[in-house]
Amino acid sequence: MADPVASVLPSPVASAPRKRSDLKRLGIFAAIALVVIAIGPYVLPMYMVNGLIRAFLYAAVALTVDVLWGYTGILTFGQSAFFGIGAYAAGLMFTHVGFSTGYAAIALVAGVGVAMLVAGLVGWLAFYHGASPLYGSVVTLVLPIVVTQILFSGGNFTGSSSGLSGFESFDVSIEAWFWIAGGFLVALTSAAWLFVRSDAGRILVAIRENEQRCEYVGINVSRVKIVLMVVCAAIAAIAGYAFAGVQMVVAPEYAGFVFGTELLIWVALGGRGTLIGPVIGTLVLDVSTSYLSGNLPFVWKLVIGVAFVVVIVALPQGLTPLVTRTARRLFGRREADAPDAPVTFEHSAAAPYAGLEGAGQQALAVEGVRKHFGSLAVLQGIDFTANRGELLSLVGPNGAGKTTLMRCVADGNERSGGTVRINDHDIGRKPPYTCVGFGVGRKFQTANVFETLTVAEALRIARTRMARPSLWSRDGTLPLPEASLQVIRATGLDLQIGTEARHLSHGMKQALELAMVLALEPSVLLLDEPTAGLTKPERTMIGGILVNLAQKHRLCILLVEHDLDFVREISSRVIVLHQGRLVLDGTVAEVVESELVRTIYSGAAHGAPS
Amino acid sequence: MSTLLDILTTAAILYSVCAGLLLVFGVMKIINFAHGGFLTVGGYSALLVTHLGLHPWWAPAFAFVIGAVCGMAIERLVVRPLYSRPLDAILATWGLGIIIGQVITLAFGREVQFVKSPVTGALDLPGGASYSEYRLLLVAVAVALGLTLAAVLEGTRLGLVTRAVIMNENLARALGINSGLVRFATFSLGAGLASLAGSLITPLSSVDPNMGVPWLVNAFMLVMVSGVSLVSLAIACVVLGGAQVLVSQWGNPILGGLTIVVLAAFVLRLRPQGFSRG
Amino acid sequence: MQSKKTGPLVRAAQWATLATFATALTLPAAHAEDVIRIGIPVGLSGANSVVAPSVVQSAELAAEEINAKGGILGKKVVLEVADDGSGAAGAQKAFDSLIFQKKVNVLISMETSAARNAGLPIVTRGKTPFIYTSFYEGRSCNKYLYVNAWVPDQQVAPIVDYFAKNYKAKTYFLVGSDYAFGRGMLEFTRGYITKIGGKVVGEEYLPMDGSDWTSVISKLKAANPDALITSTAGGAPNVTLTKQLRAAGVKIPYGNLAVDEGTAKSMGADAEGIYISGSYFTNIASPKNQAFMAAMQKKFGANLKTPNDLSVPQYEGVYAYKMAVEKAGSTDADKVIAALAEVAFEGPRGVIQMNKQRHAPLTMYLGKVTKEGGVEVLETFKDVDPGEQCPKLK
Repeated sequence: MADPVASVLPSPVASAPRKRSDLKRLGIFAAIALVVIAIGPYVLPMYMVNGLIRAFLYAAVALTVDVLWGYTGILTFGQSAFFGIGAYAAGLMFTHVGFSTGYAAIALVAGVGVAMLVAGLVGWLAFYHGASPLYGSVVTLVLPIVVTQILFSGGNFTGSSSGLSGFESFDVSIEAWFWIAGGFLVALTSAAWLFVRSDAGRILVAIRENEQRCEYVGINVSRVKIVLMVVCAAIAAIAGYAFAGVQMVVAPEYAGFVFGTELLIWVALGGRGTLIGPVIGTLVLDVSTSYLSGNLPFVWKLVIGVAFVVVIVALPQGLTPLVTRTARRLFGRREADAPDAPVTFEHSAAAPYAGLEGAGQQALAVEGVRKHFGSLAVLQGIDFTANRGELLSLVGPNGAGKTTLMRCVADGNERSGGTVRINDHDIGRKPPYTCVGFGVGRKFQTANVFETLTVAEALRIARTRMARPSLWSRDGTLPLPEASLQVIRATGLDLQIGTEARHLSHGMKQALELAMVLALEPSVLLLDEPTAGLTKPERTMIGGILVNLAQKHRLCILLVEHDLDFVREISSRVIVLHQGRLVLDGTVAEVVESELVRTIYSGAAHGAPS
Repeated sequence: MSTLLDILTTAAILYSVCAGLLLVFGVMKIINFAHGGFLTVGGYSALLVTHLGLHPWWAPAFAFVIGAVCGMAIERLVVRPLYSRPLDAILATWGLGIIIGQVITLAFGREVQFVKSPVTGALDLPGGASYSEYRLLLVAVAVALGLTLAAVLEGTRLGLVTRAVIMNENLARALGINSGLVRFATFSLGAGLASLAGSLITPLSSVDPNMGVPWLVNAFMLVMVSGVSLVSLAIACVVLGGAQVLVSQWGNPILGGLTIVVLAAFVLRLRPQGFSRG
Repeated sequence: MQSKKTGPLVRAAQWATLATFATALTLPAAHAEDVIRIGIPVGLSGANSVVAPSVVQSAELAAEEINAKGGILGKKVVLEVADDGSGAAGAQKAFDSLIFQKKVNVLISMETSAARNAGLPIVTRGKTPFIYTSFYEGRSCNKYLYVNAWVPDQQVAPIVDYFAKNYKAKTYFLVGSDYAFGRGMLEFTRGYITKIGGKVVGEEYLPMDGSDWTSVISKLKAANPDALITSTAGGAPNVTLTKQLRAAGVKIPYGNLAVDEGTAKSMGADAEGIYISGSYFTNIASPKNQAFMAAMQKKFGANLKTPNDLSVPQYEGVYAYKMAVEKAGSTDADKVIAALAEVAFEGPRGVIQMNKQRHAPLTMYLGKVTKEGGVEVLETFKDVDPGEQCPKLK
């Protein structure tokens, strides 16, 4: 397997692995929470116990909203629908069939199953390659409306607007329900806490930050979202089921859009993307509402509305981070903004550069590729092939179609006609993450990275395709192919592995993206102006790495460049595009001496189409 | 005959209700969740016109002005800081919807209010049937509204720069267009149009603090399937509104109420560009 | 995030939040004074918020009158009003707080059916008598529940009988909002029409928040019935339906099972000629009603919310509880529950005793909305039986 590099990179973070202290912190918090919950029923008045049971279950749903929205960026109005489905599974079963342990179990399975099915369908509708997040949100908004309508039309079966009430339920005391609901919430919060901090959990943040980059490192974003939605739906359904069990009532409003948005308010005010914030937000707001709204029903709603807007506009992180920061300031404790988990890089197993072994000499074949936007033809029948080991530069004036051609090679949905073959795979209409599987790695023109992820995290995301990340822990080592390591070392990224990408310089971001693309172990590397904005020494270094990749690792590199000197230095072959046509395909010398190229470039100076 | 009129008038009403939302969506790429609130503002503007004893014909103009003024304030205070966070923008506008509803409740009370209608009664049709005059009038209003908007977009400088921003905001900015101003103008215009539509539906609807809410989701879906074109909005209103009328007629009105949202969701899934070309 | 700049403000907000929570935790529990607490969970916000103030007013009048005459068993009556948000979630909070925090002796209130249903398990757990004072779709049964308002069995017959007799109506078209009350009422109506030999030629529903009745009206016109009976949700749907019916030129006899006097009045000309039926109208000519109206006018003056078929049962419910406690000699829940069926109180709606399976036979009135927006009482039906509501509860 992975053989550690002789010179293991010096880790800038010399602290002990944080994993253990993380776990310890979690254990302490969970233990305190459980103790509070254990003594709760003895010290709290009855009405508070009742109210908190409900709030615990609401908070469990709010937690799923936080994972979906706060972490993954899926703004959902629909979690209430799954809560309702779980609740109605219990309500319908106990009302119409009766109560027994067996029926209760069947109802639970049915409720969770239906919720997951519905979530799958909603996910299929809302998330597909190229879907706008707005559309996804509106679909989640439609869901509770449809579910409520179905419940209303159900007549005596669903109890219509009145819901169902007075059915028999678990013979469990209120105190025990308090422990069950509280324990469920603590367990769920702990699990979610582990999950979002795990290597797999970072993918959620990566999706929130930059969905496109995720697809181009080979992650099927839509599938991740759908799976996440299904899991969150199951959790919400369990909460709903417990709710019906303890309250012995179900009503359409628990599945409704208003409850769905209330969840968002709790999460937003509590602090999205913090897990604990939404939980506290829900508990505080739901419990306090019953006291305040009685006295000032309309004003209270107005206050909540204003607070919500203010938080969204001015404090997108919600109130919890402010509270913790204030607490830290009051108690004089410094915020530990130390980089997360120290990571040691390793060489990955001897480069199995994807597709190379089985494929022929030819790595990339482009046949008759056309692309038009409406009546505007950007590419008009491009034909060329490229072999492994070639470093092929694409040149041409602005608007010649170079970037468009790159796009057509990396994403099957882009071109209007023609075929593209990667290592003998026809990419057809396949999305980018499939093309990555065929061996494509694409670096964008402007640095395209995950702003709030650290260098190490971003590189791990890029390795998702190779090594399935853990759902609950963080790996201390990160195997990377040599080329990627080379870039990291040569640019000094290794000294900043704990730095979030947004704090990196422009050049470093470019280097990070290149390292990420190389971490994919591509056989066809698409680079769109990789040296733009870099200093002269940096360019020379990148140039050297590229030549090395082509020659030593036999990669096929397709490079878009404006800097003709750079092109001349490193290319093995040059293709000239002009107004969407391939006008010249030859060696560096041929192109440099071509009269045609000179005309094109000088012509382009006065009014070429852009 | 009456089914045909139902489809036509339903489409006309939907078109009036959606036009403002479409403009905002086109330029700002956000769904304005406060749209329902603006419809309500329009309804209460019409109520004020009734209270002031003015002729009901004043209501639309009055509603437009009030809506536009609200829109200006909201764009400055809430929407502008959220340009780069479109999902937060829809949440914030949704919060605004709550605020508008509560402020109206505190000012006017929660009960249903009554607004004078400019036209009442039914028009006798050839063949012995009759049809609501006001609904027929709304068809003319919707057509006029569409033509006016088209004229503004196609024929004025504001329209030109607006279209430029819709197509490519970065490029428009690079060409020296003050896209912030265009957004400001669009949001105000969109709010004004929503409020105008709110006053137009008062003779059919009730006037209460939640009057805008039932229209909201249908309007979202219609705008999403229309892309950014007024023409495809018209097509979407006729097709989906027509489907709603037919489902209500041959199935039942409850299914009819879900027709637009469900159909639109599937249309968008199978054809992401919806009813727009390209 | 500019949290650093907004320091003081933000800190104030944090303290406010914490303080709120702390207050919530430490609010004083029930004070064990020697009073009788009556809990009124009611929809101060949400769908019922239009009618809720009138309900609270009539309860206040009843409490004031009772206290002026020495209270119940010498104890002062105290009202505890809580907002149920007109829905299930709000009702759970309201019932929890009234029963377990305020420790009320009884709940007397009008609520939505969803709120009532959500409250019932809490009532059972807290073993507190509950007098429900809202007309509803019927058949809600619980050991602790009594109802002193009408159910479909009592309300539908007057209208249908009148249409059959005076308009020789044979075919009927039914329109409702899609919710428990709307469907429950029309289900009963359909059965009753069929029973007396009429025919239902159409039955259409719109979602509760629906406001576009176009296709329903088209179907109505196509069916060309002799009479129309509607049962929509109160407020907006009722108003939009009536407006759109009038705009479409529908002129057949129109019985509305969901409109109240106040709404009819504010609808103006559109409401003229609507037939309504109920157990209370403001111009019932009994001395009890006139005394009640005078007392309300005196107590609330310009702030008076017009008494109606939802608020008057509230007034009577408070008195029924007083009589039951006096008969039982204590506020013990089981004794009061037993006594409630045995006491009869004469109020604005007449003599009312909840002795029919926890429901009450009522005198029903058929009225017609006049041009001025008042209601002209056309016929009176004495002691209409609520029918089989809770056969298992005796």
